[in-house]
Amino acid sequence: MAIKVQNLTKVFDNKKVLDNISFTVEEGEILSIVGFSGSGKSTILKILCGLLSPDSGIIDIGNGDVAMVFQYSALFDSLNVLDNISFALNERKEFKGKYTKAEIKEIVARSLKTVGLEGIEDKFPHELSGGMQKRVSLARAIVTKPQFILYDEPTAGLDPVASTVIEDYILRLRTETKATSIVVTHQMSTITRCSDKVIMLYDGHIVFRGTPADLLKQDNPYTQQFVSASTEGPMKITASSF
Amino acid sequence: MTKLQSYVKETITYKAIYMLLHYLHDFLETFGNISFRFCQVLKYLFSFQINFKQLLEQSSRFAVDSLPITLSIVSMTAIILAMQIAPEMVKQGGKDYIGLLVALTMVREIGVIMSGFAIISMIGSSQASELATMRVTEQIDAMNVLKVSPFQYLFLPRVLAGFIMMPFVVVISSTVGILTGGLTAMFAAKDVTWLCYITSVWQGLYIRDINIMLFKSACFGACISLISSSCGYDASGGAKGVGIATTKAVVWSFVAIVIIDCIFAAAFYV
Repeated sequence: MAIKVQNLTKVFDNKKVLDNISFTVEEGEILSIVGFSGSGKSTILKILCGLLSPDSGIIDIGNGDVAMVFQYSALFDSLNVLDNISFALNERKEFKGKYTKAEIKEIVARSLKTVGLEGIEDKFPHELSGGMQKRVSLARAIVTKPQFILYDEPTAGLDPVASTVIEDYILRLRTETKATSIVVTHQMSTITRCSDKVIMLYDGHIVFRGTPADLLKQDNPYTQQFVSASTEGPMKITASSF
Repeated sequence: MTKLQSYVKETITYKAIYMLLHYLHDFLETFGNISFRFCQVLKYLFSFQINFKQLLEQSSRFAVDSLPITLSIVSMTAIILAMQIAPEMVKQGGKDYIGLLVALTMVREIGVIMSGFAIISMIGSSQASELATMRVTEQIDAMNVLKVSPFQYLFLPRVLAGFIMMPFVVVISSTVGILTGGLTAMFAAKDVTWLCYITSVWQGLYIRDINIMLFKSACFGACISLISSSCGYDASGGAKGVGIATTKAVVWSFVAIVIIDCIFAAAFYV
C-alpha cells in the first residue's frame, strides 16, 4: 500500500510550517525526510498518523494500519516490556479477546526476537539502555503488523554502533513486514543505508527530492549545504534550527 | 502599527484588559476541555468499555495511598474543633450537645471537604503530574497511534475510582474524626463522659445527612480525578509544563470542590 500526500499545508501560530507539500511513497519503499530542526519533518509524520490534522491537502494512506517509532521511544514507563509491546493487542478494540495470554506472550517473544532482544519481557523501560528502548519501541510498532511504519529520528541520541544496529533493523523490518516506511532523520548513514528516496524540507517547502545518491552529488545548493554541514548557503540558520 | 496603536498598547488599561481577556480565554478553554472529557468518560462508561485492571489499580491508589494523610487531617481538625468547643459548651451547660455538634460538622462539612483537600494534594496532584509526564514524553501520542483511547484507558478508570472510593475514604475519616473528637472533648472539658458524648453523637446523625455526604464525596472524587487528569493531559513543554499542569490541577480542583460544596449546601440545606 502506498502513501500519497498532495498539497499538504499546516500552519502553527500564523507560520506556515508546511506549504503545499506533495510526495508519494510506493509500496514497500523507504522514504527519508531530511532538513533542519523545525522544518516540519515531524509534523508530516504526526499528520500521517493522525495526531495532527492538516489545514489543507489530501493524504491517501488507504485503510492501512500506521505504526510510529517515536524519537525518544515513548515507552509506557509504568508498564514492563511485555505489557508495552502487547499494549495494542490487550487494549485495542479490534484485538480485544482475539488472543489468549499465552498467544500474546508468544507474539511478544517473536517481536522481541525480530529486534534482537530476548528474555527482557519483565524489565521496565528505565532498566533498559537507549538503544534497547528504541528496539522495544520497534517491536511495539510491528506487533500489530502495520502496513506503514513511521520513524521519527530513530537513531537520535544513540552512539554510532547502536545507530547502525537500528538501521539494520529498519531494513530487516522492511524485508519481513513489507511495510511502507517514512524515516525522519538527520543522520547521513541512515539516509544512505536505509532509504530508497529522499526529500529535503526547508521553510515549509520541498527543496530536494531524489535518491540518496542524488543527495550526495551535491549539485543542489540546499543538499550541498546539508551534506557539508555548512552554515553558509541558501538555508538560513535561525534559533529554531537548533 | 500606527503611533496611536503602539501608544494604546502601552497603557495600563489596555494591559489590564488584555490580561483579563487572556485569563478568561484560559478559563473557558480549560472548562471546555474538562466538559468535553467528561462527555468522553460518560461515553466509554455507558458503552461499558471499562478497563478493570486499571480501575482496581487506581482505586487502590485512591483509597489506600490517601488514607493516612486523610485520616491525619480530618482527625486533627476534629481535635481542634473539640478542644475549642468542649470547654465553652460545658460552661454554657451544653455538654450533652458536644457530640452532636462534632458529628454534624464532620458529616455535613468537615469530613468531606477536608478529605477532598487531602485527596487533591495527594492523589490529584499525582494524577496530574503522571498524565502531564506522559504527555510531554509522547506516551499519550503513542497511545493514540496504537489506537487506544486515552479517555478510555487513562481517564475512565481514574474518574470511576474517584467516584467509588472517595465515599469510603470520607466515611472512614469522618468516623475516626468523630471518635478522636470525643476523646479530645473528654480531656479538654471536665464532666464530659464517653457515654454522654456517644449518645449525643447519635442524636446528631441523620440518614439524610449521611446520604448527602456519600453522594457529595462521590462527586468530589470524580471531579478531582477528572480535573487533575484533564489538566495533566493538556500539559506541554517539558518539566516546566508538568509543574504548571500540576499547579493548575490543584487550584482548579480546590475551587471546583468548594463550588460543588456550595451547590450541595444550597440544594439540600437551604
